Amino acid sequence: MKLAEEEYKALQNIVGSEYITREPVILDTYNQVWGNAFFFDEKHSVRPAAVLLPVNTAEISEIVKVCNKYGILFKPFSSGFEYLSLSLANTRGILLDLKRMNQILEIDAKNMRAVVEPYVSVYRLQMEAAKHGLYTGRIGVGYSAGVIAAECCHHGCQHTMVFTSGYGRNTLGVEWVLPTGEILNMGSGESGDLFSADGPGFSLRGILRGRTGANGGHGVVTKASVKLYPWYGPTQWEQTKKPGEPPSFGQLEKVPDGYKVFVPSFADLDTTLEASEELCRAEILCAFGIGIIGTAQIQEGNDEEWAAMQKARQSFDPAGGISVANSVVCVIGGQSAGELEYKEKCMRAITEKWDGSFSEQFNESRALARAFADIMWSNGVNLRATGDFLPSSSSPDGSPAMLKNLALKEGEVKKRYEESGAFLSMGGGRMVSWRPEEHLSIGAQGISTAQYDPYDPASLAAAREFIDELFDPKSPFKRYGVPSRGGCLQIEPVTHIHQNWGPLYDNYDVYLRKIKRMLDPNTVADWTAYIPPEYPDYAKDGDYVLPSYGKEEDI
Amino acid sequence: MTYQDYTHDMQRCTRCSYCKWIPYRYMKSTDFMEGCPSLARYNWHAYSASGKFNIAYSLLKDRIEIDETFLDVLYHCQMDGSCDVSCKVQQDLEPLQLMQELRIKCVEEGQLLPVHMLVIEGLRKEDNMMQALKADRGKWTEGLNTKDLSSESAEVVYHAGCRYSYDEELKSIARAGLTLLRDAGVDIGIMGTEEACCGGRAYELGYAGELTKYAEHQIETLRTAGVKTLVTPCADCYAAFKVLYDKIDKKPEMEVFHITQYIHRLIEEGKIRFTREVPVTVTYHDPCHLGRLGEPWIHWQGKETKAMGPMIIHDPPKKFRRGANGVYETPRDILKAIPGLRFIEMYRIKEYTWCCGAGGGVIDTHPDFAVWTGAERLKEAHAVGAEAIVSACGWCKRNFLDAAAESDDDIEVYDIIELVQKAM
Repeated sequence: MKLAEEEYKALQNIVGSEYITREPVILDTYNQVWGNAFFFDEKHSVRPAAVLLPVNTAEISEIVKVCNKYGILFKPFSSGFEYLSLSLANTRGILLDLKRMNQILEIDAKNMRAVVEPYVSVYRLQMEAAKHGLYTGRIGVGYSAGVIAAECCHHGCQHTMVFTSGYGRNTLGVEWVLPTGEILNMGSGESGDLFSADGPGFSLRGILRGRTGANGGHGVVTKASVKLYPWYGPTQWEQTKKPGEPPSFGQLEKVPDGYKVFVPSFADLDTTLEASEELCRAEILCAFGIGIIGTAQIQEGNDEEWAAMQKARQSFDPAGGISVANSVVCVIGGQSAGELEYKEKCMRAITEKWDGSFSEQFNESRALARAFADIMWSNGVNLRATGDFLPSSSSPDGSPAMLKNLALKEGEVKKRYEESGAFLSMGGGRMVSWRPEEHLSIGAQGISTAQYDPYDPASLAAAREFIDELFDPKSPFKRYGVPSRGGCLQIEPVTHIHQNWGPLYDNYDVYLRKIKRMLDPNTVADWTAYIPPEYPDYAKDGDYVLPSYGKEEDI
Repeated sequence: MTYQDYTHDMQRCTRCSYCKWIPYRYMKSTDFMEGCPSLARYNWHAYSASGKFNIAYSLLKDRIEIDETFLDVLYHCQMDGSCDVSCKVQQDLEPLQLMQELRIKCVEEGQLLPVHMLVIEGLRKEDNMMQALKADRGKWTEGLNTKDLSSESAEVVYHAGCRYSYDEELKSIARAGLTLLRDAGVDIGIMGTEEACCGGRAYELGYAGELTKYAEHQIETLRTAGVKTLVTPCADCYAAFKVLYDKIDKKPEMEVFHITQYIHRLIEEGKIRFTREVPVTVTYHDPCHLGRLGEPWIHWQGKETKAMGPMIIHDPPKKFRRGANGVYETPRDILKAIPGLRFIEMYRIKEYTWCCGAGGGVIDTHPDFAVWTGAERLKEAHAVGAEAIVSACGWCKRNFLDAAAESDDDIEVYDIIELVQKAM
C-alpha cells in the first residue's frame, strides 16, 4: 500500500528528497534477505512503502513522530543481514536504512568503552579498538554486521563470550528513539557520557532488548556506548596469501604475539563436555569453540570443498579417534609471558586430567592461526554450501547440565535429518556447540547449524519439520527459558513460540506484550521479529504455519 | 547466457553485504574498507551487487519494469568487479556476469542511455569510442617512422587503443611505449588508421553485438597482417583481447600481452635496462581490467548437482574466476626495479583494488561519479604517503588527472610507461 502524498511529503521534508525513495526498483531491494523462503515461501517479503536514509537522531525522531501521526509502521536496520531484518507486518510500512550513521564517535581507552553509531560494524570496531589495545567480541554473521545491532537490538552468541560476555551485557548506555519519537538517553549521568546501563539514570537494559532483542520492535538505537576488553595482540595485522591463490586463502602467518591457541581432542562427547566445562571455568580463555574449530583451510568454492572432503575421508583413520566433534579450540591471551605461561599450564593440566591429546593436524602452526582468526574476528558466515542455515537451538543461558542434555538430544534429531539427505552432513556427528558466557559463570548458549537448501522443496520442508520438532514445548529437550532461533530471533510469525512457551514460563509473553504496548501505544514499530501487541494468528501448538502477515501482496 | 540463467544466483544472494566491502581478511585501514564505489556514493542497497541480484529477481518475477531508475542503478556502476571478488570469497555466485547480462538485455530491449547512443553511434561510424575521426587514428605516431602493418609486416602489433590514440594528454605515452619496445629491438608496428576499437567497452555497456563484430574484425585484420603477438598499453583492450574474445569463442590465435608484461620480459632478457634514478615515492593503482578482470576466461559446461545432502556442487567441477589470476606482480616488479623509486602499497590492492572510476562507461555517462571515485583513490594514495600514483591504463590516468584537477590535488599522476621511460 502506497503512502498518501501528504504522508510521503511529511517524511521527505525531514530527510530531503535525495534520501527517501518510493521507486519500486529500489524498494524491491529492501525485501529480499536470507530466510525469507523459510518464513514466507518467497524470497520477497512485504515491499516497503518507502525507504529512508536518515543521517542523525533528530531526523529519526521526526520520522517516528510522523509515523505515529499517520499510523505508518517503521523498522530500522544497519546491514540488514539477518532473518526478518527487513520484514514488515504490512505494506504500510517504511524502512530506515541507517547506512549514513556510520561514525565511531569515541574510543575511551581509559574507561574501556566505545561510542558508535548504528552502521559501525563489529570488525571495524575491532580494528580501531586494537590500536588502543582493546577488543570487542566477535559476531557470527560476519564483518558487515553492526555493533548496535548485535549489542542492543538483536540476539547472537559467539565464541568470544567466554571472555567478553554476551552482547546484551556489554551495553553501557544508549541514545534511543522510542516508538513515540521521544529521545531517551539511558545510562547517562549529568556528564551525558553514556557510561552505565544500570544508572545513574534509568536502568532499562532489560526492557531495551529483553532476552533476545526487540529487533526494531522498540524504536531506534541511534548511538550506543559499549564495553571493550583487553586486546593482547598487535595494533595492526595482515592476512596474506601467495600470488594466484584465491582470496579465501588469505590468513595470518601465525597466531599473533600475546596469544596462543590450542586444540585438544578428547575420547568421546561426554569427556569433551566435562573437560570443556572445566576449561571454561578456569578463567583463562579469551575464546572457546567446541565442535567447530576453524583450523581447516577455507576452500575457494563448494566444488573444492567437496574435493577436499573426499580426500580427507580417504585418509581418515577411524582408529585414530580424533574428530572435530570431540575437539575444542582454546584461545588464551596475556599481557606478559608469565601470564600466558600460567594459562597454558592450566589448559594443559585440564586436558591431561581428561586424557585429552593435541593432534598434529589441528595444532599445526598455520592451522592454529586460521582458528584464531576464525574464532576471534567477525569473518564471513558460510552460506555457500547449501544457501541457508538454521541456527537451530540457541537455548538461552543454559546450565552446563541442560546444555549437555540438549547437545546430545538435538544431535540425534539433526542426525536423522542429515541421514535423510535434507541437511548437509559433514560426517562425524557434529553436535550442538557451546558459547559459554563469562567463563561459564552464567551458563552458556548452545547452537547448532542445520544447513538446508531453501530452494529445494524437500530440504525446505524438512527444515520446517525440524524446527517444529525442536520447538515443541512437549519435546524431551527440557530447555530453560525462552527459546529462540533464526540468528536467535523470535520466530513468532511461524511457530508461535511465544504462545506456546509463555504459559510454561511465568507467562512471560504477557509481560512482553505489555511492554510493547506501553512503549509503542500506536503500534508503529514493526513487531515481526519481536512480539505483536496482540497475537494475530491462532496458536497451533508448535506446528509450522505460514503467517498471514508479512507476506508480499500482489504487485 | 541470459540474465535468467542466473536465477540460482538471484535466489541465493543472502544480502550478506560482503560485496560492499573488500574481503575482511585484507582490510588494513578502517578509512579504506569499502569496495563498491556505487554503493559508497549512492547509499541505496540497489546500487550494490546484491541489489542488482535483487532487481534482476524482481524483473524476472514481473514485479518491476526496466525504467529510468532501473537504468540509473544499472549504469551508475563501473563494472569493476570488486563486488565479484568479495562475493566469491563466500559464495559461488556471479554478480558481475549477471550485471553484464542485465545491460545486454537493456540494449536488446532498446532501453538506452542517450550518452551511450552517441558513443555507440560514433563507434559504428568511426571505429572508436572517443567520438573522433577514424582518419586521425594513427596520428599519434607522426614522426616515429613506424611500420604500418596494413602494408608492411612485423612480428608484433602495438594496439594503442582508443583512449591513447585520441587523448591529447596521453598520446605521448602511446608514443613512448612504442618507442621503448622498438628501441629494445622488437619487430613491431601498428595498424594505423586500420586499428579499430577492441569493442570491450561497448560490450560492458551492453552492446554485445559490437564485441563480436570487433573481435571478428581484429582477428581477420591481424591474421591478414601476419601478426603473431599483440601488445597493448591499455588495460581495457588487454581484457577484451585476452578475456572477452575468449568468452564469446573468438579467441585470437596470437599471444596477447599488456605492455607491462612485455617490458618485464625485455627487462629479464636484458634488452631494457634502467640507468637513471627516478626519485619519487609512488604507489601503484591496479587497473581493474589488467587485474581481476584480466583473469583468463574459464569455459565450463555441466550441471548443478548435490553432495553431502543439499550441498550445491557441479559436474564436472566448475572453476570460478575469483580474480586471483590477474596481472598484479608484473607491474610491481617493474616499478621496484627502477632505481631511486620508493614504492609503497595502498590499502586496497590487486584483487580488491578500488576502481579509478572510469570503467563501465561511467566516464561518459556520469563523469561526476567517475571523478568522485577517482578522487577517493587519490585520498588513499595520500594516506599511505605517496607523492605520485601510477597506473597501467589510459582510462585510469585520464580519470585520475580529471579527479586531481577537480579536487585541487597536486599529486603526480603517471602511466607506468612514463616511469619506465624516465628510468632508461
